[in-house]
Amino acid sequence: MAKILIIDDDPDMILASRIPLEAAGHSVAEARNGSEGLKRIREQRPDLIVLDVMMDSATEGFQLALNLRSREPDSEYAAFRDIPILMLTAIHTTTPLRFGPEEDYLPVDDFVEKPIDPDILVKKVTALLKK
Amino acid sequence: MAEQTNETYANGALLPGDIAVASARLVLTRWVAGALVIALTAAGVHLLRLPLPERELYLTGAAILGYNTVLAWAGRRIDRLSPTNHLRRVQRFVLVQVGLDWLSMAVFLHLTGGITSPAIPLFVIHMLMVSILLPGRSSYVYVALGLIALGTIAGLEAGGVLRHITVIPSLPGRLQRDPVYILAQVSFFAIAAFATVHLATLIMIRLRQRERQLSALLSTAQAVSSTLSLADVWAQLARSAARALSCHKASIRVLDETGDRIPMVAAYGLSDAYRNKGEVSLSGSPLDREAMAGHAVLVPNAASDARIQFPVEVAAEGIGSILVVPIIGRERTLGVLRVYAAQPDRFTPDDIGLVQAIARQGAVAMENAMAHDALHMSEKARALFVRTVTHELRAPVSGAQSLLRVMVRGMTGDVSPQQRDILNRVSSRLDFLMDLIGDLLALAATKTGEMQDRPQPQPLQPALRRTVELHANEAEEKRIRVGLSLPSEELLVLATADGLVQIFGNLIGNAVKYTPARGSVDVRLSRQDDRAVVEIADTGIGIPAGDLPNLWEEFYRASNARGSDIRGTGLGLSIVKRLVETFGGSVRVHSVEGRGTTFTVSLPLLHSKPDA
Repeated sequence: MAKILIIDDDPDMILASRIPLEAAGHSVAEARNGSEGLKRIREQRPDLIVLDVMMDSATEGFQLALNLRSREPDSEYAAFRDIPILMLTAIHTTTPLRFGPEEDYLPVDDFVEKPIDPDILVKKVTALLKK
Repeated sequence: MAEQTNETYANGALLPGDIAVASARLVLTRWVAGALVIALTAAGVHLLRLPLPERELYLTGAAILGYNTVLAWAGRRIDRLSPTNHLRRVQRFVLVQVGLDWLSMAVFLHLTGGITSPAIPLFVIHMLMVSILLPGRSSYVYVALGLIALGTIAGLEAGGVLRHITVIPSLPGRLQRDPVYILAQVSFFAIAAFATVHLATLIMIRLRQRERQLSALLSTAQAVSSTLSLADVWAQLARSAARALSCHKASIRVLDETGDRIPMVAAYGLSDAYRNKGEVSLSGSPLDREAMAGHAVLVPNAASDARIQFPVEVAAEGIGSILVVPIIGRERTLGVLRVYAAQPDRFTPDDIGLVQAIARQGAVAMENAMAHDALHMSEKARALFVRTVTHELRAPVSGAQSLLRVMVRGMTGDVSPQQRDILNRVSSRLDFLMDLIGDLLALAATKTGEMQDRPQPQPLQPALRRTVELHANEAEEKRIRVGLSLPSEELLVLATADGLVQIFGNLIGNAVKYTPARGSVDVRLSRQDDRAVVEIADTGIGIPAGDLPNLWEEFYRASNARGSDIRGTGLGLSIVKRLVETFGGSVRVHSVEGRGTTFTVSLPLLHSKPDA
């Protein structure tokens, strides 16, 4: 139903996200790093992005989200800034809200914690697509 | 005060403190002198039956004691003045004292026989005192004044203008008019006075130099040990060296990792143009090469010295002579300390010794600062290691768990009940592994004190509210009632946000975990004097009394917890205890097996804000 792009450097995580999302009827594309992710976004204009918080560097995911959501008028991603982003976080369970959605500087729409619970992933994706 | 001391002393000059001491000592000595005049007169008249002018001598003694009373009073007043006015006032005060003494000395000489007075040597003693107490040149002036006094009295008495008083009856009556006698007395007096004062002055100059050097070393030690920042140590060292030699320019060069370049790391009083004149390397600078080999190098005349690498810049900076000494550390020579003077031939062997001593102190301070930096770097490296390990350990477990869940939910095809049971068991073991990794890293962080954030004032209410919310789902599943009681007054403690979540997350998580279905967990925050007290009470399985003493040990789990199916790493309470103690608090436990457990965390209250 929807085009979903998963950006993650861990192939197991991509597979663990792809299976439940495809089972829910979505078509899934994947990218292994930030720059490949941006390329796919421009080529395919996905309906939603599942983004890993940490890729090659500890902040690559954040950086990508910041670029994509830039409010600069001449941003090259201006056409894509409204695509919902679901971020995969690997923060320890006792500090799940450390980078919680209430923090303004994180331009993402929601979080899914790793290890991924497939039901929660599908539920959150569905909720974001409805918005 | 120390600043001023450094600024005002030049070679052999007096420190302000010295003048005040000199002034006080003059007053003290004068009490003795006045009393002696009176006592000696009495003894001379009554015991020796000398024809002394008794009344005049008593008057002189009384006058000395009289004006000394006034001087003592004035001295105490001057001591109370502010330091800025103080120095000049004390100097003037000492001059007044010496002037009055000169006058009474002249009167005393006249009354005891003028040029034939047996008391003439006393004048030399007074001159000696002046030369000890006052700076070099003024004592020579005083010797001249003394000579003038003696010469004038002798002249006036010989010419009959002033009455000559004969105090030693057996002396020839016309001795005071004998030009040979007068000339001989005055000449030998002059020689004795000048020689004594000269020797005393030389000794005093050396003494004052030593004192100045000691004081310079002391202030260097204080300056360079007042900081652990290497840049500050360098700056203080350059400044201290320049000031110790009363020069206005100094620099520090430190050998870099190439082993050849020796960049300037600190400068005192040097212009930007001079500092940026160009790269200095050992291969290109014979001066620095020699100094780095451990020798002090003197450039007496910078304008014509072939060893100077940048003669144009040195001339433009107005540098006449340079002193370069090595900064020698415990194992190697760290760099060089240079002091620059405007005049050629400015530095003495004493100066070299002093700057070498200053450089030695600088080396110790530099090595301390370097060790401190290295420690800081290794802490940073360890923190990075912990973060990397966190990621590297968790990523594979997390990937495996994520894939497993997909399979358990039947998203990859049907799973038989036995397969599902096995997959659930594997999943449960992976969950435990995740917990263990998290707890181990949290524990490592508390042990090395390398929390990601610095402790800051944190309000307890939001931290507790958030932690209770986090465990709401789990509690709801077990139908456990969770009560939260918070005071309206905001309670602030010094802690990290992560640390508070760890502490209360572990305690509230345990409470929910070890409380059977339909039980209750109560979290209460209250203020007790200057402490914030959090009680977490549950109606859970409790802790057997025998396990209580070991409860806080790493990997220790109470026997009834080990025997249950409830998962636990045995690290949570160790983390709680360490964190609570890191934040200056304490944690207690009270438990009855089968009835429930209460943990009480007490943290020092920072201060409380009144309700808005």
